[in-house]
Amino acid sequence: MSARTAIARGLAPVDAAAPCVRFERVSMVFRGQGGHPDVQALCDIGLTIREREFVSLIGPSGCGKSTLLRIIADLVLPSEGLASINGEPPRRARLGREIGCVFQEPALLEWRRVQDNIALPLELAGVGRDERAARTAELLELVGLKGFERAWPRQLSGGMRQRAAIARALATRPRVLLLDEPFGALDQITRDRLNMELVRICEATRATVLLVTHSIREAVLLSDRVVVMSPRPGRIIADLAIDLPRPRTLLTRDDGRYADLVQRGTSELERGYDGSER
Amino acid sequence: MTAASDRLAVELGAPSWLVAAWRLTWPPLVTALIVGGGWELLIWALEIPAYYIPAPSRIWQAFWANPGNLMVHAGITLLEAVSGCVIGSLLGAMLGTGFAYSPLLARGLLPYFIAANTIPVVAIAPIIILWFGHGIESKIAVTTFLSFFPLALNMMKGLQSYDRVIMDVFHVAAANPWQRFLKMRLPSALPYVFVGLKINVTFSVIGAIVAEFVQADRGLGFIIMTTYRSLNMPRLWAALFISALIGMVFFGIVNALERLAIPWHSSMRTDV
Repeated sequence: MSARTAIARGLAPVDAAAPCVRFERVSMVFRGQGGHPDVQALCDIGLTIREREFVSLIGPSGCGKSTLLRIIADLVLPSEGLASINGEPPRRARLGREIGCVFQEPALLEWRRVQDNIALPLELAGVGRDERAARTAELLELVGLKGFERAWPRQLSGGMRQRAAIARALATRPRVLLLDEPFGALDQITRDRLNMELVRICEATRATVLLVTHSIREAVLLSDRVVVMSPRPGRIIADLAIDLPRPRTLLTRDDGRYADLVQRGTSELERGYDGSER
Repeated sequence: MTAASDRLAVELGAPSWLVAAWRLTWPPLVTALIVGGGWELLIWALEIPAYYIPAPSRIWQAFWANPGNLMVHAGITLLEAVSGCVIGSLLGAMLGTGFAYSPLLARGLLPYFIAANTIPVVAIAPIIILWFGHGIESKIAVTTFLSFFPLALNMMKGLQSYDRVIMDVFHVAAANPWQRFLKMRLPSALPYVFVGLKINVTFSVIGAIVAEFVQADRGLGFIIMTTYRSLNMPRLWAALFISALIGMVFFGIVNALERLAIPWHSSMRTDV
C-alpha cells in the first residue's frame, strides 16, 4: 500500500517500511457439516506485517494459524473482516503472482523432474523457455539442489523435496512468502540445517515472510516478530519483537537474549492455554 | 544360474540389452520346455487321440502346414481388437472426463453404463452384428463396446485422484482450468488410464473372437468355429495359441507405452 492510499484511508504510515500484509478484524467460522456444530477458528484478528518483515505465527494445534495463512494466500475467504496485501485483496496479489506458498508436505508433481517442478509457476505464468531455464538454474543454486535438476521427486530425501518446494515458491519472485510448517515433517537435524538455509534464502530474496510453526525456538531464531495465538478460537495474545542481531546463525541460540525470548514466548503460549481453560 | 549365464554372455561379448532380454526370457522358456515336453510324453505314453488333446508336435505341424493362412486370420482378429480398443478407449476417456467434471452427468448416466457393462458379450454381440453388418466393422463395434467402460471409469477415477495440496499450489500460482487439467489432473490420471488400457487389451481380443464366433468368414474365431465342426483339433489348438500370442503382443505394446508415458510412477520402479 502506498503512503498516499494509507493516508487517504486515515491510517498513519508505519515506520520506515510500508505495511504489506494486513488483517483487519478477521474472523473465521467453519460451518459444521452433518449435524456437527459450527467451529469458530479465528476471532477478531488484527495484524500488520511490514514489507520485508519476517513474522512467525505460533500457537497450539487447531488455533487457526494455518487458516490465517490460507486467507492471505486466497485459498479461503474470511467469514468476517478484511485481509489485504499492499492494500489490495489477496486475490489481486495471487493473480499478480506475488504470493509464494510452501506447505507442510512438499506437494511436488511426481511426473516432473526437479527442474520442471521448480519451473512450474513460471510455466503457468507463460514465461518463455529460456527465461525459465535461467531462473531455474538460479533457484537450484539458491536452495542447494544443484546437480539434482534431472532427478525425479521420489529419488530425493524429505529435506531435499522441501528445498525444491521452497525453490518453486520463489520462482516468480513473490513479494510475500507463506510458509505453513514447512519443516514440520522433518527430523531435528535436517530441520536446523534448513532453518539456517531459510535465513540465508530470505535475506537473498527480500520477500515478506509469514511462517506458521509449532516451535517457539524456530520462531525466535528466524523472525523479526513472533505472534502468539491462543487455542481455538484463535486470537492474538502476544506480539514479541525479536531484536536479536542479524544475520542469524545457529550460534544465535547461545545469545542470552535468545533464551529469554524463548522463555517469554513459552510463557505467553502457556498463558493462552490457561485462559482457554477458564 | 542367472549369474553364470550372465558371466558367459559377457565373456562372449553379448550387448547388455541382449543379456537383459535373456534374463527375462529364460525362466518362461524353461517352463515351456518342461510343460511342452511332459505334454508330448504323456500323449504318447497314454495314447490319447489327437481330437481329444493333440500333442504339441501335432499342433506345430498343423500350424506349419499353412502358416501364412493362419497368420492372415490372426492379423484380422488383431486389427479388430486393436481398432476397437483404440476407439472404445478414446470414447471412454472422453466420457470419463465428462464424468469427472460433472458429478451430475455421472450420477445421471453411470448407473446405466454399469448395467450395460454387466451384459455378457455373447448376448450383445449378435445384436451389434445385426446393426453393423457382416464385415469387420461389426467386430470392431463389439470390441469398442467392451473397451468403452473400463476406460470411462478409470479416467473418471484418475482425474479425481489428484493431490489436494497440489491443487492449492496450482491455485496460488494462478493456474487456469485448462492448465490444471493438462498439467495436474491428466498426469495424475495416467496410471489409472493404463490400468484401464490393460483391461481393454484382454477384453478386446476376447471380444473380437466372440464376435467372430457369432458370424464371420475370417479371423481366428472363424478358424476355431470351423475347425471344431470338422474336428480338426490340432489346427484349432494352433489358433488358440496364436490368439494367446496376439493378446501378449498387444499387452506388451501397452506395457511399453506405459513405461514411456509414466516412467516417474512408483509402479515403474526397477529397484524392487
